[in-house]
Amino acid sequence: MSEALGRVVATERKPNTPHEFHFWTAIDSPVGIGTIVRVDGAKPIDGQIPHIYGIVVEGFSYTDLQSPMHDVLGHDGLPTMAGYAATERAEIRLYTAAVLRQIPEEPLQPVPMGQVFLAEEADVQVALRMDGYLKEGANTGIPVGVYRAGGTDAVIYLDADFLLGPEAAHLNITGVSGLATKTSAVEWLLSSLFTHFPADKGSIAAVCFNVKGPDLCYLDKPGKVEEGDKALYEKLRVEPHPFDNVQYFAPYTAKGISLNTFRNNEALLDNVVPLTWGLREVLQFAEVLLNKDDVDAKADALIDFITQNVVDKEFSDPILSRKHKVQSFADLEGWFRDVLQGMEKKDGESWRTHHVATIRKVRNRLSNISTRCAGLVTDSGAVSDLPFGSFEDRTVYVVDVANLEEDAQDLIFARIVSKLREHLERRDLGVKHLVVFVDELNKYAPGDGADTYVRKMLLDIAERGRYLGLVLFSAQQFRSQVHRRVVGNSGTALFGRMDADELSTPGYAVLSPATRTKLATLEKGQLMIRHPHFTQPIFVRFPRPSVMQGREGAERYPQASEVSLDAAILRALRPLDPSITLPWVQEITALYTEEEIIRARNATQLARPENVKAYFAAQFRKILTAQPVARPMAATIKSAPENDPYGF
Amino acid sequence: MLVSNSGPDATSRAAFRLLSEKLPGLTAIKGGTSAEPLTATEPPILRSAQIVEGSSLRAVKVPGVSRQNPSGFGAFLDGAQKVRVIGHDLGIPIVLGTVSAAVRVRVDRRLVTWGHQPPRVERAIYLPLRFLPQLADARTLEAFETAGWRAVDTSTADRNGEFPSQHPAVLVERAIRAVDQQREELEDRLAEAWCALGESPLFIDGGISRTPAVASSTCAVGVVKSHRTLYVDGDALRVVMGLKPGERSSVFRVSPRSRSSVLSWYLRQRTPDGHDAMWGLVRVEVSECDRPADRADEISRWILAETSPLALPDGRWDKMSYGIRDCEEFLRAIS
Repeated sequence: MSEALGRVVATERKPNTPHEFHFWTAIDSPVGIGTIVRVDGAKPIDGQIPHIYGIVVEGFSYTDLQSPMHDVLGHDGLPTMAGYAATERAEIRLYTAAVLRQIPEEPLQPVPMGQVFLAEEADVQVALRMDGYLKEGANTGIPVGVYRAGGTDAVIYLDADFLLGPEAAHLNITGVSGLATKTSAVEWLLSSLFTHFPADKGSIAAVCFNVKGPDLCYLDKPGKVEEGDKALYEKLRVEPHPFDNVQYFAPYTAKGISLNTFRNNEALLDNVVPLTWGLREVLQFAEVLLNKDDVDAKADALIDFITQNVVDKEFSDPILSRKHKVQSFADLEGWFRDVLQGMEKKDGESWRTHHVATIRKVRNRLSNISTRCAGLVTDSGAVSDLPFGSFEDRTVYVVDVANLEEDAQDLIFARIVSKLREHLERRDLGVKHLVVFVDELNKYAPGDGADTYVRKMLLDIAERGRYLGLVLFSAQQFRSQVHRRVVGNSGTALFGRMDADELSTPGYAVLSPATRTKLATLEKGQLMIRHPHFTQPIFVRFPRPSVMQGREGAERYPQASEVSLDAAILRALRPLDPSITLPWVQEITALYTEEEIIRARNATQLARPENVKAYFAAQFRKILTAQPVARPMAATIKSAPENDPYGF
Repeated sequence: MLVSNSGPDATSRAAFRLLSEKLPGLTAIKGGTSAEPLTATEPPILRSAQIVEGSSLRAVKVPGVSRQNPSGFGAFLDGAQKVRVIGHDLGIPIVLGTVSAAVRVRVDRRLVTWGHQPPRVERAIYLPLRFLPQLADARTLEAFETAGWRAVDTSTADRNGEFPSQHPAVLVERAIRAVDQQREELEDRLAEAWCALGESPLFIDGGISRTPAVASSTCAVGVVKSHRTLYVDGDALRVVMGLKPGERSSVFRVSPRSRSSVLSWYLRQRTPDGHDAMWGLVRVEVSECDRPADRADEISRWILAETSPLALPDGRWDKMSYGIRDCEEFLRAIS
């Protein structure tokens, strides 16, 4: 057992309570804000010596000086003289600790006088009630970092039952931007989760929305791991390797030629799948893209009519010139044109109770979607989607929406999360637990402002997701500005370095001034954690993620500039068949339009056939190649006999 | 020397319970009354001393004094006492006394308790047994001892064979004298132990002449803050009262009766402007040595170096060094 480093003290002015106590230490003791200590009571209660565990939340230092003026007088007003004093004044380090746990827990009494010890690893487990879920048979601990103080290195575990459900769920991270806190913490935590999530609890995967920058674009590439971090990885029993299974999804650029992602460097395209949706996929979430002013009750009724009676069905009507089967935006445009022409011919103002103005407005708005979300939404109706139904265990699915317009981001988020939810409800997603990581919650789920579809979805996940195995890992810079039901439902909260303005908001009033000061000065790789089992926030260190960081990845794998169509086709197909060459692509596509070539590429990428060349070539309509017509041989003129006297 | 008073603690309550059993007429004094040490009641006197530096007492500017001067003292010694009259049995006072002493060693400019000799705390109950025969049996005295209070009879005959009168003030005075002696004994034992090891110069609060071992040790330096006895008279008195900050008097020899002779001088630590004439004035005692003037200069520089940090908020801060204040605070905490 280590030596005592302090003694509990209490005065009438500063008494100890069941939830707080005071102790002093030597000047050079390793105690600081966030240090976990153990008090051993001197007298038994009900035959048991009480042990009290606490975390230091405030510190005081003072001397026996009664007035600052005495010090000034003592040194003749010259600060430089102070250094020559033969003796330094008696000085005290007095700390206030918040009680983490008392053993025995009953009767709950004020903390008794006693010696104070630095908590060792076993003490930390008891203090944070981790012993309950680290014991044999439970084993639901997920390492989140290392608590470090005065030579004690103790692994801090989160309880998987309280991180991923069913008891509690969700995780929220707050921290200022640019200090590699939020994304790094999530990357690290996913590594730990994939390593330590108990097999008997089922499979787990993650869907990460990359909403800005290239940070999440290199999860499958190794990053630099320094020696200090290696030791942390070893302590935390996580291999310092990048993720084994990562799948990227990104829509095309507006031109539809290359993928709209930071990861479109040719060397990285092998696991990047295009994300394209057609009319059917989009219409279901039209609400996301149409604001309240657009979609009144009449317009809503028409959209419902189209969804239920027109899309994917053979539709005929007396006013229409022909039967329509609408499967794409192009088909829908044709249908609208036919309806409006039919109404004009009849000189009618309404059709099937829908007023012509409503029809024109809905046509305008829906047609506009394919323009606003170009690259994601295809006119042709081609669909390339996440593998709903065949999600794989311990796989990260990254949806890169960083370069997209806000509308397209919202649409992607709303549809993917809805689909995930549907599949999890039916238990046919492919995995039992799914983590959804969303950054920039200040933007997607603000505490004030309009009630958007995306915010409603986030609230829904936060409040009901844990019953389905759908867990939200969210991050933002200003927790105080996020909808309180989203952060309030997060069982676990991580805090990186915080902005002083943010810390001055009422949400942080429960923290002591010293803890707030520590939060404002946290180093990279340090976090403060709140977890249902911990009665007080705990400070931990976590290793730098063992994946390539965004900046390094962007330098090593620069984003490809917009290339020619042929080159884009080559890039798209070569990961499927490395033998494909540019001349081959040029030869196959020479006679076809850009639209046909893109459609053939999309179909090939979606099918991922064994014989890529044959499949790609088969997507084109047959065009008979021009063949030289053989000139008919003119009959030879007989030559006159040499002896023909009439010949010339 | 610290004189303090505080409310009854657990051990003093135990002593009082024992007394109550034996003395049905015992009257408690609520909270106890503190008794001042006898020195405060002794008359101030002037006493001449033999000058050993020069032929007459004069003011000497201590050479080389600056704020950067280091101090050669390695430790500080002080004692403390608490004297409380906790009750009386028909006027016969019952006195509790707690005495303590400690050496605080300077390590890296911070003061810590000397590890070689732990601080001493002793408690005693001072009883005039001659006038309280109910308590004068061995079992009762043993019971006090068990309760943590050694019983001291304050009604024994003095060296002339005379017993004290039953006057309560006389009996209280006897008790106080006994407490004083007890404290001085503790201080002397610690000082002797320090000097025996001879580690480094020890700053002692008060004189050093009580024991020959300390009085003759080069490690012991006594600094006397009270001046009820001034070892100067006539012109010499004017010289001492006129000392300026950083000045000392010539070295003289103090040879009290029944005590060891030591060398001594006065030193002004702070300017007395606006204060009484003895503001910042201390008298220093050291053992006899060959070059008293050099020794006085060196020790004076050390003492002046000890004026920072100030011993405030102690009322005697003009004369008290911070190390002695630290001793007193320490003793207040443990006794």
